[in-house]
Amino acid sequence: MLIDVHAHCRSPQEDAEDPWAEERALIARMDATGIDVAVVSNLSTPRPATIEGFRKCNREMLAALREFRGRFWGYAYVNPGYAEEAVAEIDYCLDADSDCIGVKLYHEYLICDPAVRPVLAHCVELGIPILQHAGYGHVNRAVEPHISDGSHITAASWDFPEAKIIAGHIGGGGDWEWAIKAMRSASPVSGADISGSVTDEGLVEYAIRMMGADRLYFATDNQTHTGVGKFRSAMMSDEDREKIASKNFLRLIGREG
Amino acid sequence: MIFDCNAYLGNFFSRQIRNNTAPELLAVMDENEIDRAVVGSLSAIMYRNCQMGNEELAAEIADYRDRLVPFAVINPAYADWEYDLDWCVNEMGIRGVRAYPQYHSYGVLDPCCKELVQACGERKLPVTFFGRQEDYRQSHQKVDAPDLALNDLAQLCSEFPQVNFMILEAIGHGASRFVTEADTLPKNSYIEFSRGGVDELVSALGVERVIFGTGIPMKYPGPAFVCMELLEASDEVKQQIFGENLAKLLEV
Repeated sequence: MLIDVHAHCRSPQEDAEDPWAEERALIARMDATGIDVAVVSNLSTPRPATIEGFRKCNREMLAALREFRGRFWGYAYVNPGYAEEAVAEIDYCLDADSDCIGVKLYHEYLICDPAVRPVLAHCVELGIPILQHAGYGHVNRAVEPHISDGSHITAASWDFPEAKIIAGHIGGGGDWEWAIKAMRSASPVSGADISGSVTDEGLVEYAIRMMGADRLYFATDNQTHTGVGKFRSAMMSDEDREKIASKNFLRLIGREG
Repeated sequence: MIFDCNAYLGNFFSRQIRNNTAPELLAVMDENEIDRAVVGSLSAIMYRNCQMGNEELAAEIADYRDRLVPFAVINPAYADWEYDLDWCVNEMGIRGVRAYPQYHSYGVLDPCCKELVQACGERKLPVTFFGRQEDYRQSHQKVDAPDLALNDLAQLCSEFPQVNFMILEAIGHGASRFVTEADTLPKNSYIEFSRGGVDELVSALGVERVIFGTGIPMKYPGPAFVCMELLEASDEVKQQIFGENLAKLLEV
């Protein structure tokens, strides 16, 4: 089984002939490349997201889960700056659909910022994963001043050792060697997904070497060719490939069976 | 036949490159059923004197010329580059040139770049430009090499209609003049798609000017193959892209 743990749906285009054309195209690429399930979030709102903004995103994400039942699972996207509303929204989404299985955080706050603590604590209580948009660049750092990097994820994991944090796209641009090294000493239940447009040879192997295959997850971030291509090309044991393909994530969300 | 327009030997300045000798590269090619590859020296990019990297490449591939087709890295802002170009043509048998304005501190539309293009045209050599050699966001702490602007490259191509150009490792083709003005620009640019966009390139440029490249051993070969897998096209069209277009361009 192959699970793409980092993907996105968008707002349905109501005036289009097929409101879900992009999602249908994504599923066609999944079919062509053997991806069984994509775990999607919807970030189609100006950021930093308002309460109304992330609620709208999540209603549309839930609609996508209904439309593509079994092919999409979902993350509830919240802005942790609105702690009370964010926690309520997570509960709403998880109650609304059993295929909504986690939380997506973007770059409104560093994940180790005190403002994020209520959301992290709630996710630990629920035992659900948190997919955190992440990256570490040596240039253009002002573009995303609050983007979390490996060091922030490690710091948060030390504060919440049971938090199932997934660092988004270690190949998502930025110094992936730095990011991997920064996450080496994070808590064992925190990890990273391999998606992103960077397909440097050795990226996945180095992540396995430094973080361990148990902490890595297959993903595409909707770039099927880069995600699938690097996963196919990376050298690893069959056992590690199975873990990264789906076993690790199924274990994380309690669906091993 | 699979003919890869985008392969390398040697070392890159900002990170370790594995499988970067000729025998190791050939093993990667065999694993991926790549028959032939255009190779350039990675080391040459950051040697002050690129030519030493070209000479290393010549020695490295001497026994493998049937499968590895050399391109020279030429810096037209460096002393005596025309001598180097002629040496590479006559002694090394290069079939093309790789230019790196982003690492050699000149602009795509600067006079020295145009002189290089002119010189390559006179020698019937295609000139290669790289949108990026690596993602800008992971730049080395001491090196600032932003992506080349595709519209500048399109402008250069339009000013030298008699010269052939290979554009590798670029992103954002769809919004560039290569696509938006495909009907009016000269048909002298050949574009590689390992970073995506093969569908729009085939639609805009026509299948004849789309070429297959992986970036090995710097990059995983898989993404370029997945692009081909996802391309809705006949086997004949795919064969053209996989190798026939490049073989025709390089006359090999």
